[in-house]
Amino acid sequence: MKLPRDITPGQAARRALLVDLAAAIALALVAIAVAAGIGVIGFFALLLLLVLVVWIAAEATVKALLRRRSRGRRGTKRARTGSGDSGAYRGG
Amino acid sequence: MATPRLGRRRQRVRFWRRARRIFLLSSIACLVPAAISYIPAMGEKHNVGLGVASVEWMRQNGGNSIVSEIENWYYSLNAPPKGGPALRSLPQVGITATKAKGQPQGHYYRPPRVKPLIHPALPGEGVWKKAAAKAGPRPPVLLTTFRSDPEYPHFVAGIAWIDSSRTHLAYVPGLAEPPEPLDHRGTGEVPSGQRNRVVATFNGGFPLETSNAGLIYRGKVVESMVNGIATIVEYRNGKIDIVRWQSGPRAPADVWFAKQNLPPIIDEGKLNPDLSDGPEWGETVNNAIRVWRSGLGVDAHGNLIYAAADYQTVESLAKILQRAGAVRALELDINEDWTSFISYRHPGALDPSNLLPEMFRPAERYLTPDERDFFAVYLRRDQPW
Repeated sequence: MKLPRDITPGQAARRALLVDLAAAIALALVAIAVAAGIGVIGFFALLLLLVLVVWIAAEATVKALLRRRSRGRRGTKRARTGSGDSGAYRGG
Repeated sequence: MATPRLGRRRQRVRFWRRARRIFLLSSIACLVPAAISYIPAMGEKHNVGLGVASVEWMRQNGGNSIVSEIENWYYSLNAPPKGGPALRSLPQVGITATKAKGQPQGHYYRPPRVKPLIHPALPGEGVWKKAAAKAGPRPPVLLTTFRSDPEYPHFVAGIAWIDSSRTHLAYVPGLAEPPEPLDHRGTGEVPSGQRNRVVATFNGGFPLETSNAGLIYRGKVVESMVNGIATIVEYRNGKIDIVRWQSGPRAPADVWFAKQNLPPIIDEGKLNPDLSDGPEWGETVNNAIRVWRSGLGVDAHGNLIYAAADYQTVESLAKILQRAGAVRALELDINEDWTSFISYRHPGALDPSNLLPEMFRPAERYLTPDERDFFAVYLRRDQPW
Protein backbone atom coordinates (compact mmCIF):
# COMPACT_ATOMS: atom_id res chain seq x y z
CA MET A 1 0.00 0.00 0.00
CA LYS A 2 1.32 3.40 -0.97
CA LEU A 3 0.69 6.46 1.11
CA PRO A 4 -0.92 9.32 -0.80
CA ARG A 5 1.60 11.94 -1.82
CA ASP A 6 -0.66 14.86 -2.56
CA ILE A 7 -1.55 15.91 0.94
CA THR A 8 -1.98 19.28 2.63
CA PRO A 9 0.80 20.63 4.88
CA GLY A 10 -1.43 19.97 7.90
CA GLN A 11 -1.87 16.30 6.93
CA ALA A 12 1.90 16.00 6.38
CA ALA A 13 2.56 17.43 9.84
CA ARG A 14 0.14 14.97 11.46
CA ARG A 15 1.70 12.08 9.55
CA ALA A 16 5.17 13.14 10.70
CA LEU A 17 3.93 13.33 14.31
CA LEU A 18 2.53 9.80 14.08
CA VAL A 19 5.84 8.48 12.69
CA ASP A 20 7.78 10.31 15.43
CA LEU A 21 5.47 8.92 18.12
CA ALA A 22 6.00 5.37 16.85
CA ALA A 23 9.76 5.90 16.80
CA ALA A 24 9.65 7.36 20.34
CA ILE A 25 7.69 4.38 21.70
CA ALA A 26 10.11 1.96 20.06
CA LEU A 27 13.05 3.88 21.54
CA ALA A 28 11.40 3.89 24.99
CA LEU A 29 10.79 0.13 24.82
CA VAL A 30 14.43 -0.50 23.92
CA ALA A 31 15.58 1.78 26.77
CA ILE A 32 13.29 0.04 29.29
CA ALA A 33 14.48 -3.38 28.13
CA VAL A 34 18.16 -2.43 28.29
CA ALA A 35 18.15 -0.42 31.57
CA ALA A 36 18.79 -2.07 34.94
CA GLY A 37 15.42 -0.94 36.28
CA ILE A 38 12.70 1.67 36.10
CA GLY A 39 14.56 3.79 38.67
CA VAL A 40 17.44 4.18 36.23
CA ILE A 41 15.18 4.78 33.26
CA GLY A 42 13.15 7.32 35.26
CA PHE A 43 16.31 9.13 36.35
CA PHE A 44 17.71 9.47 32.82
CA ALA A 45 14.31 10.19 31.25
CA LEU A 46 13.72 12.99 33.74
CA LEU A 47 17.16 14.46 33.03
CA LEU A 48 16.58 14.26 29.27
CA LEU A 49 13.14 15.80 29.63
CA LEU A 50 14.55 18.69 31.66
CA VAL A 51 17.34 19.31 29.12
CA LEU A 52 14.87 19.24 26.21
CA VAL A 53 12.38 21.50 27.96
CA VAL A 54 15.18 24.00 28.74
CA TRP A 55 16.38 23.77 25.11
CA ILE A 56 12.89 24.37 23.70
CA ALA A 57 12.24 27.22 26.13
CA ALA A 58 15.60 28.85 25.28
CA GLU A 59 14.93 28.51 21.55
CA ALA A 60 11.43 30.00 21.91
CA THR A 61 12.81 32.90 23.96
CA VAL A 62 15.55 33.65 21.40
CA LYS A 63 13.02 33.49 18.57
CA ALA A 64 10.62 35.81 20.39
CA LEU A 65 13.45 38.29 21.07
CA LEU A 66 14.60 38.24 17.45
CA ARG A 67 11.04 38.69 16.21
CA ARG A 68 10.51 41.63 18.59
CA ARG A 69 13.80 43.20 17.47
CA SER A 70 13.03 42.80 13.78
CA ARG A 71 9.50 44.17 14.33
CA GLY A 72 11.01 47.11 16.19
CA ARG A 73 13.47 47.73 13.35
CA ARG A 74 10.73 47.52 10.76
CA GLY A 75 8.64 49.96 12.84
CA THR A 76 11.53 52.45 13.05
CA LYS A 77 12.18 52.10 9.33
CA ARG A 78 8.52 52.75 8.60
CA ALA A 79 8.48 55.74 10.92
CA ARG A 80 11.67 57.10 9.29
CA THR A 81 10.23 56.62 5.83
CA GLY A 82 7.07 58.40 6.94
CA SER A 83 8.91 61.45 8.25
CA GLY A 84 11.05 61.51 5.09
CA ASP A 85 7.92 61.52 3.02
CA SER A 86 6.44 64.34 4.97
CA GLY A 87 9.82 66.12 4.83
CA ALA A 88 9.86 65.59 1.11
CA TYR A 89 6.38 66.96 0.94
CA ARG A 90 7.32 69.91 3.07
CA GLY A 91 10.46 70.47 1.00
CA GLY A 92 8.44 70.29 -2.21
CA MET B 1 13.37 31.71 -4.43
CA ALA B 2 15.35 29.60 -1.89
CA THR B 3 18.94 28.74 -2.81
CA PRO B 4 20.03 25.04 -2.55
CA ARG B 5 22.19 25.95 0.49
CA LEU B 6 19.19 27.50 2.27
CA GLY B 7 17.12 24.43 1.39
CA ARG B 8 19.74 22.09 2.89
CA ARG B 9 19.89 24.21 6.02
CA ARG B 10 16.10 24.10 6.40
CA GLN B 11 16.18 20.32 5.95
CA ARG B 12 18.87 20.02 8.64
CA VAL B 13 16.86 22.17 11.07
CA ARG B 14 13.75 20.08 10.37
CA PHE B 15 15.71 16.86 11.01
CA TRP B 16 17.01 18.06 14.40
CA ARG B 17 13.58 19.34 15.40
CA ARG B 18 12.10 15.93 14.66
CA ALA B 19 14.92 14.16 16.50
CA ARG B 20 14.32 16.41 19.49
CA ARG B 21 10.59 15.64 19.35
CA ILE B 22 11.28 11.89 19.24
CA PHE B 23 13.54 12.15 22.31
CA LEU B 24 10.99 14.29 24.13
CA LEU B 25 8.19 11.80 23.44
CA SER B 26 10.37 8.80 24.32
CA SER B 27 11.47 10.34 27.63
CA ILE B 28 7.77 10.96 28.46
CA ALA B 29 7.03 7.32 27.52
CA CYS B 30 9.91 6.16 29.77
CA LEU B 31 8.58 8.21 32.66
CA VAL B 32 5.16 6.52 32.54
CA PRO B 33 6.20 3.13 34.09
CA ALA B 34 8.55 4.93 36.50
CA ALA B 35 5.69 7.17 37.65
CA ILE B 36 3.34 4.16 37.98
CA SER B 37 5.85 2.65 40.43
CA TYR B 38 7.03 5.86 42.12
CA ILE B 39 3.71 7.52 42.97
CA PRO B 40 2.20 4.61 44.98
CA ALA B 41 5.61 4.05 46.65
CA MET B 42 5.63 7.64 47.87
CA GLY B 43 2.05 7.25 49.06
CA GLU B 44 3.06 4.49 51.47
CA LYS B 45 3.73 5.19 55.15
CA HIS B 46 7.15 6.85 55.60
CA ASN B 47 8.99 8.45 58.43
CA VAL B 48 11.62 10.02 56.19
CA GLY B 49 11.40 13.01 53.87
CA LEU B 50 10.36 12.82 50.21
CA GLY B 51 13.98 13.23 49.06
CA VAL B 52 15.26 10.28 51.11
CA ALA B 53 12.22 8.17 50.18
CA SER B 54 12.84 8.97 46.48
CA VAL B 55 16.49 7.96 46.76
CA GLU B 56 15.46 4.73 48.47
CA TRP B 57 12.91 4.05 45.71
CA MET B 58 15.62 4.57 43.11
CA ARG B 59 18.00 2.24 44.96
CA GLN B 60 15.31 -0.45 45.05
CA ASN B 61 14.57 -0.08 41.34
CA GLY B 62 17.98 -0.63 39.83
CA GLY B 63 19.44 2.82 40.50
CA ASN B 64 21.72 1.85 43.37
CA SER B 65 24.97 2.40 41.47
CA ILE B 66 23.81 5.81 40.18
CA VAL B 67 22.82 6.92 43.70
CA SER B 68 26.14 5.68 45.11
CA GLU B 69 28.09 7.45 42.38
CA ILE B 70 26.28 10.74 43.04
CA GLU B 71 26.80 10.31 46.81
CA ASN B 72 30.51 9.66 46.22
CA TRP B 73 30.85 12.88 44.21
CA TYR B 74 28.86 14.88 46.74
CA TYR B 75 30.78 13.65 49.77
CA SER B 76 34.17 14.01 48.00
CA LEU B 77 33.36 17.63 47.16
CA ASN B 78 32.22 18.28 50.73
CA ALA B 79 35.06 16.45 52.47
CA PRO B 80 36.08 18.12 55.73
CA PRO B 81 39.47 19.92 55.83
CA LYS B 82 42.19 18.62 58.13
CA GLY B 83 42.98 20.57 61.27
CA GLY B 84 40.57 23.30 62.33
CA PRO B 85 39.83 24.79 65.72
CA ALA B 86 40.22 22.56 68.73
CA LEU B 87 37.13 21.70 70.74
CA ARG B 88 36.74 23.15 74.22
CA SER B 89 34.16 20.68 75.44
CA LEU B 90 32.44 17.47 74.42
CA PRO B 91 28.71 16.89 74.10
CA GLN B 92 27.16 15.79 77.37
CA VAL B 93 26.03 12.19 77.19
CA GLY B 94 24.47 9.97 79.83
CA ILE B 95 23.84 10.67 83.47
CA THR B 96 26.60 11.48 85.95
CA ALA B 97 26.73 8.66 88.50
CA THR B 98 25.72 9.51 92.06
CA LYS B 99 26.58 7.07 94.82
CA ALA B 100 23.32 5.81 96.23
CA LYS B 101 23.46 4.99 99.90
CA GLY B 102 22.67 1.46 100.96
CA GLN B 103 23.02 -0.03 97.47
CA PRO B 104 25.06 -3.23 97.39
CA GLN B 105 28.42 -2.69 95.66
CA GLY B 106 29.18 -6.18 94.33
CA HIS B 107 32.01 -7.20 92.02
CA TYR B 108 31.05 -6.72 88.45
CA TYR B 109 32.82 -5.89 85.21
CA ARG B 110 32.96 -2.29 84.03
CA PRO B 111 34.85 -1.38 80.87
CA PRO B 112 38.03 0.68 81.29
CA ARG B 113 38.00 4.34 80.27
CA VAL B 114 38.53 4.88 76.53
CA LYS B 115 42.02 6.39 76.44
CA PRO B 116 41.91 9.85 74.82
CA LEU B 117 43.89 10.25 71.61
CA ILE B 118 44.35 14.01 71.81
CA HIS B 119 46.10 15.64 74.77
CA PRO B 120 45.25 17.38 76.95
CA ALA B 121 42.03 15.43 77.27
CA LEU B 122 38.77 17.33 77.58
CA PRO B 123 36.64 16.97 80.73
CA GLY B 124 34.83 13.63 80.68
CA GLU B 125 36.56 12.43 77.50
CA GLY B 126 36.40 8.65 77.32
CA VAL B 127 34.76 8.42 80.76
CA TRP B 128 31.76 6.09 80.86
CA LYS B 129 28.47 7.44 82.12
CA LYS B 130 25.31 5.46 82.67
CA ALA B 131 22.55 5.89 80.11
CA ALA B 132 19.58 5.19 82.37
CA ALA B 133 18.60 6.83 85.64
CA LYS B 134 18.14 4.59 88.68
CA ALA B 135 19.77 1.70 86.84
CA GLY B 136 21.51 0.53 90.01
CA PRO B 137 25.23 -0.06 90.55
CA ARG B 138 25.44 -2.13 87.34
CA PRO B 139 24.11 0.13 84.58
CA PRO B 140 23.12 -1.98 81.56
CA VAL B 141 24.25 0.72 79.11
CA LEU B 142 27.20 3.09 79.45
CA LEU B 143 27.96 5.99 77.15
CA THR B 144 30.98 8.11 76.36
CA THR B 145 32.49 10.37 73.72
CA PHE B 146 36.02 11.05 72.61
CA ARG B 147 37.89 12.86 69.84
CA SER B 148 38.73 10.08 67.43
CA ASP B 149 41.33 11.53 65.08
CA PRO B 150 44.28 13.86 65.90
CA GLU B 151 44.30 15.08 62.27
CA TYR B 152 40.67 16.20 62.61
CA PRO B 153 40.48 17.48 66.21
CA HIS B 154 36.81 18.47 65.92
CA PHE B 155 35.56 14.94 65.14
CA VAL B 156 33.73 13.38 68.07
CA ALA B 157 32.83 9.70 68.26
CA GLY B 158 29.97 8.44 70.41
CA ILE B 159 30.38 5.04 72.06
CA ALA B 160 27.90 2.87 73.91
CA TRP B 161 28.79 -0.19 75.94
CA ILE B 162 26.04 -2.74 76.54
CA ASP B 163 26.25 -5.26 79.38
CA SER B 164 25.32 -8.58 77.73
CA SER B 165 24.81 -10.30 81.09
CA ARG B 166 21.98 -7.89 82.01
CA THR B 167 20.44 -7.31 78.60
CA HIS B 168 18.91 -9.13 75.69
CA LEU B 169 19.37 -7.97 72.08
CA ALA B 170 16.44 -8.26 69.68
CA TYR B 171 16.36 -7.82 65.91
CA VAL B 172 13.31 -5.76 64.89
CA PRO B 173 12.29 -5.74 61.18
CA GLY B 174 11.33 -2.39 59.68
CA LEU B 175 8.33 -1.61 57.50
CA ALA B 176 10.34 -1.93 54.27
CA GLU B 177 13.52 -3.70 55.31
CA PRO B 178 13.98 -6.61 54.92
CA PRO B 179 11.74 -6.44 51.81
CA GLU B 180 10.99 -10.17 51.77
CA PRO B 181 7.66 -11.34 53.27
CA LEU B 182 8.06 -12.21 56.95
CA ASP B 183 5.83 -14.24 59.26
CA HIS B 184 6.35 -11.83 62.17
CA ARG B 185 7.20 -8.46 60.72
CA GLY B 186 5.64 -6.46 63.54
CA THR B 187 4.98 -2.75 63.28
CA GLY B 188 8.53 -1.52 62.66
CA GLU B 189 8.86 0.00 66.15
CA VAL B 190 9.64 -1.11 69.71
CA PRO B 191 6.59 -3.26 70.61
CA SER B 192 4.41 -1.59 73.23
CA GLY B 193 4.59 -4.69 75.42
CA GLN B 194 8.38 -4.46 75.57
CA ARG B 195 8.76 -0.74 76.18
CA ASN B 196 8.92 -1.16 79.93
CA ARG B 197 12.24 -2.96 79.56
CA VAL B 198 13.84 -1.23 76.58
CA VAL B 199 17.09 0.50 77.50
CA ALA B 200 18.48 1.28 74.04
CA THR B 201 17.82 0.97 70.32
CA PHE B 202 20.21 1.32 67.43
CA ASN B 203 20.30 1.10 63.62
CA GLY B 204 20.72 -2.14 61.70
CA GLY B 205 23.00 -2.83 58.77
CA PHE B 206 22.80 -2.06 55.07
CA PRO B 207 19.60 -3.04 53.24
CA LEU B 208 19.86 -6.63 52.01
CA GLU B 209 19.97 -5.43 48.41
CA THR B 210 23.16 -3.43 48.94
CA SER B 211 24.90 -5.63 51.50
CA ASN B 212 24.83 -8.80 49.35
CA ALA B 213 24.55 -10.66 52.62
CA GLY B 214 22.14 -12.90 54.48
CA LEU B 215 19.56 -12.79 57.23
CA ILE B 216 18.09 -15.38 59.58
CA TYR B 217 15.02 -14.23 61.52
CA ARG B 218 13.31 -16.36 64.15
CA GLY B 219 15.35 -19.36 63.06
CA LYS B 220 14.33 -19.10 59.38
CA VAL B 221 16.46 -17.98 56.46
CA VAL B 222 15.09 -14.77 54.96
CA GLU B 223 18.09 -14.30 52.67
CA SER B 224 20.77 -16.96 52.14
CA MET B 225 23.74 -16.55 54.48
CA VAL B 226 27.15 -15.90 52.97
CA ASN B 227 30.35 -17.41 54.33
CA GLY B 228 33.10 -15.02 55.40
CA ILE B 229 30.70 -12.14 56.13
CA ALA B 230 30.57 -10.49 59.57
CA THR B 231 27.41 -11.57 61.36
CA ILE B 232 25.58 -10.55 64.52
CA VAL B 233 24.20 -13.80 65.88
CA GLU B 234 21.76 -14.52 68.64
CA TYR B 235 21.71 -18.17 69.64
CA ARG B 236 18.60 -19.83 70.98
CA ASN B 237 20.12 -19.78 74.49
CA GLY B 238 20.14 -15.96 74.35
CA LYS B 239 23.89 -15.56 73.81
CA ILE B 240 24.91 -12.78 71.42
CA ASP B 241 28.11 -12.78 69.38
CA ILE B 242 29.72 -11.25 66.32
CA VAL B 243 31.37 -13.86 64.13
CA ARG B 244 32.80 -14.38 60.69
CA TRP B 245 30.07 -16.65 59.28
CA GLN B 246 31.26 -20.13 58.26
CA SER B 247 28.05 -22.18 58.54
CA GLY B 248 26.86 -22.04 54.92
CA PRO B 249 23.65 -20.61 53.47
CA ARG B 250 21.20 -22.35 55.81
CA ALA B 251 20.15 -21.61 59.38
CA PRO B 252 21.93 -23.73 62.01
CA ALA B 253 19.51 -25.22 64.55
CA ASP B 254 20.89 -23.16 67.45
CA VAL B 255 20.60 -19.75 65.74
CA TRP B 256 17.58 -17.51 66.49
CA PHE B 257 18.63 -14.53 64.39
CA ALA B 258 21.69 -13.67 62.34
CA LYS B 259 22.19 -10.43 60.49
CA GLN B 260 25.11 -10.12 58.12
CA ASN B 261 26.81 -6.95 56.92
CA LEU B 262 30.05 -6.80 54.92
CA PRO B 263 33.33 -8.45 55.99
CA PRO B 264 34.44 -8.03 59.63
CA ILE B 265 36.23 -4.75 60.28
CA ILE B 266 37.92 -6.18 63.39
CA ASP B 267 38.64 -9.87 63.80
CA GLU B 268 40.46 -11.44 66.74
CA GLY B 269 41.42 -7.98 67.99
CA LYS B 270 43.05 -6.95 64.72
CA LEU B 271 41.88 -4.50 62.07
CA ASN B 272 40.89 -6.08 58.77
CA PRO B 273 43.96 -5.55 56.52
CA ASP B 274 41.67 -4.76 53.53
CA LEU B 275 39.93 -1.77 55.13
CA SER B 276 41.30 0.56 52.47
CA ASP B 277 40.13 -1.59 49.54
CA GLY B 278 36.86 -0.66 47.87
CA PRO B 279 34.61 -3.29 46.33
CA GLU B 280 34.04 -5.57 49.30
CA TRP B 281 32.49 -2.77 51.41
CA GLY B 282 29.06 -2.86 49.82
CA GLU B 283 27.32 -1.34 46.82
CA THR B 284 27.06 2.04 48.43
CA VAL B 285 29.32 5.02 49.10
CA ASN B 286 32.99 4.22 48.87
CA ASN B 287 34.69 2.93 52.03
CA ALA B 288 37.11 5.89 52.00
CA ILE B 289 34.38 8.54 51.79
CA ARG B 290 33.83 10.42 55.05
CA VAL B 291 30.18 10.11 56.11
CA TRP B 292 28.21 9.21 59.21
CA ARG B 293 29.10 5.61 59.95
CA SER B 294 28.19 3.21 62.70
CA GLY B 295 29.50 -0.14 63.84
CA LEU B 296 29.00 -2.83 66.44
CA GLY B 297 31.61 -4.90 68.20
CA VAL B 298 32.03 -7.27 71.10
CA ASP B 299 34.66 -6.87 73.80
CA ALA B 300 36.74 -9.68 75.28
CA HIS B 301 33.98 -10.30 77.87
CA GLY B 302 31.22 -10.69 75.28
CA ASN B 303 29.64 -7.27 75.88
CA LEU B 304 28.49 -5.18 72.94
CA ILE B 305 30.12 -1.91 71.89
CA TYR B 306 28.34 0.42 69.50
CA ALA B 307 30.13 3.36 67.87
CA ALA B 308 28.96 6.13 65.56
CA ALA B 309 30.43 9.37 64.30
CA ASP B 310 30.22 11.76 61.40
CA TYR B 311 33.02 12.04 58.79
CA GLN B 312 34.28 8.48 59.17
CA THR B 313 35.80 6.04 56.72
CA VAL B 314 35.49 2.29 57.26
CA GLU B 315 39.05 2.31 58.59
CA SER B 316 38.58 5.17 61.05
CA LEU B 317 35.36 3.57 62.34
CA ALA B 318 37.22 0.30 62.92
CA LYS B 319 39.92 2.19 64.85
CA ILE B 320 37.28 3.84 67.06
CA LEU B 321 35.75 0.45 67.90
CA GLN B 322 39.16 -1.06 68.53
CA ARG B 323 40.10 1.79 70.88
CA ALA B 324 36.80 1.29 72.73
CA GLY B 325 37.77 -2.34 73.35
CA ALA B 326 36.11 -4.31 70.53
CA VAL B 327 37.84 -7.54 69.56
CA ARG B 328 35.39 -8.42 66.78
CA ALA B 329 33.29 -5.87 64.93
CA LEU B 330 31.27 -5.12 61.84
CA GLU B 331 30.12 -1.97 60.14
CA LEU B 332 26.42 -1.17 60.46
CA ASP B 333 24.40 1.37 58.49
CA ILE B 334 25.88 4.63 57.24
CA ASN B 335 24.73 8.16 56.28
CA GLU B 336 23.02 10.64 58.57
CA ASP B 337 19.53 9.41 57.71
CA TRP B 338 20.13 5.91 58.98
CA THR B 339 22.57 6.22 61.90
CA SER B 340 20.88 6.24 65.30
CA PHE B 341 21.67 5.13 68.81
CA ILE B 342 19.00 6.00 71.33
CA SER B 343 19.03 5.31 75.06
CA TYR B 344 16.01 5.59 77.34
CA ARG B 345 16.54 7.12 80.77
CA HIS B 346 13.40 5.75 82.41
CA PRO B 347 11.27 2.60 82.08
CA GLY B 348 8.52 2.78 79.48
CA ALA B 349 10.88 4.18 76.81
CA LEU B 350 10.63 7.55 78.53
CA ASP B 351 13.07 10.41 78.02
CA PRO B 352 14.84 9.03 74.94
CA SER B 353 18.10 10.69 73.89
CA ASN B 354 20.45 10.31 70.95
CA LEU B 355 24.01 9.19 71.62
CA LEU B 356 25.33 12.32 69.88
CA PRO B 357 23.37 15.57 69.61
CA GLU B 358 24.30 15.84 65.89
CA MET B 359 22.47 12.62 65.08
CA PHE B 360 19.97 13.64 62.44
CA ARG B 361 16.99 11.43 63.25
CA PRO B 362 14.84 12.24 66.30
CA ALA B 363 15.29 10.32 69.54
CA GLU B 364 11.70 9.02 69.17
CA ARG B 365 12.68 7.28 65.92
CA TYR B 366 12.09 3.69 66.97
CA LEU B 367 8.97 4.50 68.99
CA THR B 368 7.18 5.11 65.69
CA PRO B 369 7.14 2.77 62.66
CA ASP B 370 10.48 2.91 60.82
CA GLU B 371 11.45 1.87 57.30
CA ARG B 372 14.61 0.08 58.27
CA ASP B 373 15.30 -2.85 60.57
CA PHE B 374 16.99 -2.09 63.88
CA PHE B 375 18.12 -3.60 67.15
CA ALA B 376 16.47 -3.14 70.52
CA VAL B 377 18.26 -3.76 73.80
CA TYR B 378 15.97 -4.97 76.58
CA LEU B 379 16.77 -5.42 80.23
CA ARG B 380 16.55 -9.15 81.01
CA ARG B 381 13.40 -10.16 82.89
CA ASP B 382 15.37 -11.19 85.99
CA GLN B 383 17.17 -7.82 86.11
CA PRO B 384 15.67 -4.96 88.14
CA TRP B 385 15.56 -1.47 86.64
